[in-house]
Amino acid sequence: MNYNATQSTAPKAPAPAMTYICAECGSDNEIKPKEPIRCKECGYRIMYKKRTKRMVQFEAR
Amino acid sequence: MPPIAKFNTLERERIFKNPSDKSFQTPALQELVAPHIEAFNSLMEFGKGSKSGLLDLAIQDIGPKAVFDMAGGGLGNKLTFWVDEVTLNKPMLSEKERHSTTRQIYPTEARERLNTYRGKLQAKLAWRVNDGPVVVETRDMGLVPVMIRSNRCNLEGAFPKELIKHHEESEEFGGYFLVNGIEKLIRLLIVPRRNHVIALIRSSFTNRGPTYSTFGTAIRCARPDQTSQTNTVHYLTDGGSMLRFAWRKQEYLVPTMLILKALIDTSDKEIFDAVMLGDLENTFLTDRVELMLRSFKEYNLYTREQCLAYLGDKFRVVMNFPEDYSDIEVGEGLLRKIVLVHLKSNRDKFNLLIFMIRKVYALVAGECSPDNPDSPQHQEVLLGGHLYGSIIKEKIEDWLNGIRAQINQDVRRKVTGVDFMNNQYFTKTLQKTSGLQDVGSKMSYFLATGNLVSNTGLDLQQATGYTIVAEKLNFYRFLAHFRCIHRGSFFAELKTTTVRKLLPEAWGFLCPVHTPDGSPCGLLNHLSHTCKVITEPADVSRVPAILASLGVSQTLVPARGQRTIVVQLDGRIVGYCSSEEAKKVADALRHYKVSGTHQGAIPLDVELGYVPISQGGQYPGLYIFSSPARMMRPVRYLANGKTDMVGSFEQVYMEIACMDDEIRPGESTHQELAPTSMLSILANLTPFSDFNQSPRNMYQCQMGKQSMGTPATAIKYRTDNKMYRLQTGQTPIVRPALNDTYGIDGFPNGMNAVVAVISYTGYDMEDAMILNKSSHERGFGYGTIYKSEIVDLGDFRVRGEPVLHHFGLGLDAPRSWREKLDNDGLPCIGVTLKEGDPICAYIDDTTGKTSIKKYKGMEDGIVDDVRLLGSDNGDAELQKIHIKFRITRSPIIGDKFSSRHGQKGVCSQKWPSIDMPFSESGIQPDVIINPHAFPSRMTIGMFVESLAGKSGALHGIAQDATPFTFNETFTAADYFGEQLKSAGYNYHGNEPMYSGITGQEFKVDIYLGVVYYQRLRHMVADKYQVRTTGPVHNLTMQPVKGRKRAGGIRFGEMERDSLLAHGVSYLLQDRLMNCSDYSLCNICTKCGSITSPISTHASAALSGVREIECRTCQTSSAIDQIALPYVFRYLATELMSMGIKVTLKTQP
Repeated sequence: MNYNATQSTAPKAPAPAMTYICAECGSDNEIKPKEPIRCKECGYRIMYKKRTKRMVQFEAR
Repeated sequence: MPPIAKFNTLERERIFKNPSDKSFQTPALQELVAPHIEAFNSLMEFGKGSKSGLLDLAIQDIGPKAVFDMAGGGLGNKLTFWVDEVTLNKPMLSEKERHSTTRQIYPTEARERLNTYRGKLQAKLAWRVNDGPVVVETRDMGLVPVMIRSNRCNLEGAFPKELIKHHEESEEFGGYFLVNGIEKLIRLLIVPRRNHVIALIRSSFTNRGPTYSTFGTAIRCARPDQTSQTNTVHYLTDGGSMLRFAWRKQEYLVPTMLILKALIDTSDKEIFDAVMLGDLENTFLTDRVELMLRSFKEYNLYTREQCLAYLGDKFRVVMNFPEDYSDIEVGEGLLRKIVLVHLKSNRDKFNLLIFMIRKVYALVAGECSPDNPDSPQHQEVLLGGHLYGSIIKEKIEDWLNGIRAQINQDVRRKVTGVDFMNNQYFTKTLQKTSGLQDVGSKMSYFLATGNLVSNTGLDLQQATGYTIVAEKLNFYRFLAHFRCIHRGSFFAELKTTTVRKLLPEAWGFLCPVHTPDGSPCGLLNHLSHTCKVITEPADVSRVPAILASLGVSQTLVPARGQRTIVVQLDGRIVGYCSSEEAKKVADALRHYKVSGTHQGAIPLDVELGYVPISQGGQYPGLYIFSSPARMMRPVRYLANGKTDMVGSFEQVYMEIACMDDEIRPGESTHQELAPTSMLSILANLTPFSDFNQSPRNMYQCQMGKQSMGTPATAIKYRTDNKMYRLQTGQTPIVRPALNDTYGIDGFPNGMNAVVAVISYTGYDMEDAMILNKSSHERGFGYGTIYKSEIVDLGDFRVRGEPVLHHFGLGLDAPRSWREKLDNDGLPCIGVTLKEGDPICAYIDDTTGKTSIKKYKGMEDGIVDDVRLLGSDNGDAELQKIHIKFRITRSPIIGDKFSSRHGQKGVCSQKWPSIDMPFSESGIQPDVIINPHAFPSRMTIGMFVESLAGKSGALHGIAQDATPFTFNETFTAADYFGEQLKSAGYNYHGNEPMYSGITGQEFKVDIYLGVVYYQRLRHMVADKYQVRTTGPVHNLTMQPVKGRKRAGGIRFGEMERDSLLAHGVSYLLQDRLMNCSDYSLCNICTKCGSITSPISTHASAALSGVREIECRTCQTSSAIDQIALPYVFRYLATELMSMGIKVTLKTQP
């Protein structure tokens, strides 16, 4: 939801925000480049990258 | 009859689903690391419920320091300063951080952010000028690393539910430190037993000077703060004796007589009586004591004051006491700080020093034997926490001395502003010495490197190797780290092997099986699983009274003839009695101790070492120990059936039966709780180890630690550099009871495999094993490696400049990069990376260009996790990331497997299922091994495991494989044979089998059963090395070495010799020349030089053909081309540089 919202308001923004997961509370955090790495909910300092939405195809052998 | 073991699957699932917040599933695991944690806890709380810890005792021992400003001629004003209080806080966020909801820092953050888990150390520094008011200031002494799950960790007392909440293992036991994200452990070290005098004969003692003999007695005295000081009494060939001690790494020798007379006001008669103990017929002793007393007359020191003043005069500079101390005070300080420091009262010190002298005389006379310092009887454990405390103590003292030195320097140089009355001067000095004040960084350095930087040496023999990385390769290895105990790196260099010997005294304390083979053999031992290390001081204040009531005489009235022996309590002489009485006293105390009478005046952890009188054996006495750091273990006290704790000193003189039939009435006082108590955890986990030849059990202890298993359950939250994981781990069907006690089921280490012992296809020769291809396809032995990569853009940053590098993909990034990376410059999770692919991209602000980091690794890696690591205060932009790669490792030919009986083998084929032999019930083996693996290795335990595993699988039960449960009358073969029979199988475990290829029945029945197999981490994928052409060394033009650089394997001298012997000269030339540094080279046949031909440009500049001419002969007519190894040309030029000419004779 949030992801779509940002896309609609600012398409092709020079600094697209990415969504990361807080390692402590698990909440989604939108962090733009050059923004500090800090959870907006709990202030934690580690973020996990989300799994890609792109197709990842493995070679079936 | 072995107890019925159970898998407890449902129970374990229930606990897994609902982690408890009240208790641990396997409390035994927590107990294993207790020595580490309790020793660290004692820094703040020494003894249960105590308010003060070792650090408090340490600052008491350091005491006040003083300086003088030399104002007005004399010493001037006196500035005294001391540390009043030290506190170590739990790890908390700094005050600058304002966003977090919780202030506590938990270990997982340190682990994931590759940080150090540390808390603030604060000291209250107090000072006063002359007798003025005391000023107190709290000083920060840096952030000191804190042990996980200790009383300074935020996970203290947490149970599984909370641990899981904080991303830890459900059964996390801690006991280690986190330094830069790496789990570090201070390993246990063996040191001489404290507060006990041992007799030594060492040839090196004679090196101290003329008249020094090889005899001596030594005592390692421990102060209340657990630091120690060793005192040695040397016997001189002229009958006298000297006391040796080391102070700040410098050795000093003082006549014992001087020390004796300085300790108390005494007379020669008193000394004589004290040494003689009424044994006046002993002329050997009388002669020597008389000589000792007479020779001291040379010093002309008659009173205690004179002796103290003499000592103080000599040691004033060394001891570094305040300048206003009188000589007598310095002498007293020396006695307090150096001589027999475990004792407070000088009378006790006097008595013990007399005892040391008497013992050395007994040793010289041959009345007693030297004590073996390599025997666990005379050893104890240096605990990590105690060492940590002593280092902190030393650093605090260094700081105080630094302040003193700074002020002294200022006074000496007459720096303006030296004013003791002005508090600002002192605060300024504190700022100047802030380098010494940061104890935290010094402790981090100690943990990170294991190096001990020390002025005093801390009475230890080594300066390096104190810490190890607690690798989580698999759970076995991780666990073994906490139980390993090292003899000291000093002994590793020793030529003699006596220190490595397995002594009977080690029974029950050190595992006889679990030691590595090779260079650390016997030096790196492991504690047996029931062995405990005492960490708390026992309350023995009422022991002297009880001793007196049992008939032990007081120290002031010794002398009752020859058969009198000494009674010592923690190295303090508390009385004397006859040997027979001492036996009765020891027995009575033992009874009080176990039964808990006298309101527990004798705690269970007290050790009652009664050494009887013998003909030239150990020096007799009743030695009672209550101090921490001793090894003790539980055994059953036969008199009342209760559990008694037995120490390594007393055990030597006790009658402890092992099995029921070994109890000798009237003699045996104790019995082992179980015969397996003597084994370490890992040795205990080998099934039926009592059936195996002993070296095989040692091998299994090594291989268990190398197997690919389940390192952790919280793998997602781990950032280890490399982690091996077995995807298809199972619980073993055949397992010792301890498997459940230690919760090994949570961390499976292998798979149950149907194993046929048969020589089939020939691919199972020489310890190779055939893997069933279908079982491989079903996931047998499938493993994964996790590798970490850390990218820190902070490395590019120049100090003082703003952040110029940011993660991200610029518009200039090519499309191929965008396939692997997202717009944030970080890799997409789940993407496969090949060698040379980008793992992340960053933009340099100065150039505006996007750069990448490339994936280096020959195998494809899958991005498993990407962590964005913030800064300590959560206020900095992204500069550091941690990427976890997953590398799949399905078993391939060449991978190493092993059963749990030291039977390792390499997979030689993945044999198609249709061609595998099959049994009558249609079972195909997963693994085929060769029968030749057994006769020479005698691993009968593997046969028994095979039988037990088979019947367990058929009946659906877990099989108990605890060693020493079967015997000659009740055999394992019969027990499991009957089980097999009842399942309709052959009693012996053999089965008729059919060839998978022809379908014909084999002429013999095949031994078929279920054996637990481990996959070892040594895999061909990490080891294969192959090369045809590739990089060469640019000086020699020969192939480079090293697997990483695609180098070759050296074809060395011995290989060359064998080719020469075979006469295969063409092959020889091919290897050493054609495939190596073959080169064509011009030579002048006239002068025979290979260095003189050079190309001339003049004539053939247009044609492009180069004319080659010899510089010395000035002609091109004699130039020819020959093939030479390139190194030879290099050699020729090297020789030329030294003025040596090389000429080659050539023939067409």
